Amino acid sequence: MSGRGAISDVPFLPEVRIERDADALIAEYAQRCGAPVIAPVPVEDILELHLGLTFAIEDLAALFGTDGVLGAIWFNEKLVRIDTRLDPSENPLRLGRYRFTLAHEIGHWRLHRTYYREDPSQAVLFDGRGQPAVVCRAGEKKIPVEWQADTFSSYLLMPKSLVVAAWTEWRGNLDPVILSDLPTVTVADGRDPADATLDRFSKPLAERFEVSAEAMRIRLEKLGLLLRERPNTLF
Amino acid sequence: MYSKQGTSERQTVMTAQKPKFGTFIRERRTGKGYSLRRFAELVGISPTYLSHVEQDKVVTPPTADRIQKMADLLGESPDELFAMAGRVPEDLPKIIQSQPEAMPALLRAVKGLTPEQLKKLQDQASKMRREGDPS
Repeated sequence: MSGRGAISDVPFLPEVRIERDADALIAEYAQRCGAPVIAPVPVEDILELHLGLTFAIEDLAALFGTDGVLGAIWFNEKLVRIDTRLDPSENPLRLGRYRFTLAHEIGHWRLHRTYYREDPSQAVLFDGRGQPAVVCRAGEKKIPVEWQADTFSSYLLMPKSLVVAAWTEWRGNLDPVILSDLPTVTVADGRDPADATLDRFSKPLAERFEVSAEAMRIRLEKLGLLLRERPNTLF
Repeated sequence: MYSKQGTSERQTVMTAQKPKFGTFIRERRTGKGYSLRRFAELVGISPTYLSHVEQDKVVTPPTADRIQKMADLLGESPDELFAMAGRVPEDLPKIIQSQPEAMPALLRAVKGLTPEQLKKLQDQASKMRREGDPS
């Protein structure tokens, strides 16, 4: 996060509480629609039609005079702006990032708007992520307000119940898949070959949920369905 | 996608003086339950362009056929949308050119009349058309 109005002193939120909030939002939306939510989770509808936020796509680099801002939210105006470079009609390969950024801004709305109400000067919150991982990785230093919004985004786009159901339908069981059992992907761009291998494996589910392969891989690892090492067993 | 009934929103917009085209489209679109991307896709424009239209940031409004498409999807009067967008409906130039002297003369003659007076004339024209007596 960067820019004026940025804030870093939101209280700690346990991950389970963030997941519960994302699940609650999906349940609210489903109740309003009178139908269960299926993948891909309709984040655009949730943002505009359910939460009543105004959504705009704009050139944020021009608006803020700096590169790398993918999305921003104005709490007082109930306005979310996403950078035009993420427009999926122009950049189909960025559909996952587009949806993740939308869900990230929804996360700010759900988790953080109460902290801004009393201070209009802090009513704009930038999402200044650049090229790094879409979802916070272990060891990556990220300020709490952005980490929480990323975590919310992951849970909103890939709720456990839907991912587990899709995995079961795809694999036929809930057995985890282990990295060493997968054909290794050769990478030339300095990426971690293990990440690349697991990303490629995650791609079918990523496409179904309209998220990046990386985001899905991280989610599957968190659910214990993708393992980097064979678990130790007693027998 | 779900559809919410936009009665109160509609009243809000209709009581406001001359609603802006973009604002009107956005309210109707969300009222009908279309996401920005879905609506843009159905109209045949990019979400970014539609977003600019909805913020009344475009210099050139959408083309007549796209406004017609928007009207169809939203169940709105195309003429109302054309007027708000500052576009002339596609069929008008042809109508004028079909009777190049009488039509401009008619338009000049009715210019300045109240909406009620225009409605009376319109009803009269419809009656003449029904009776098959254009004289």
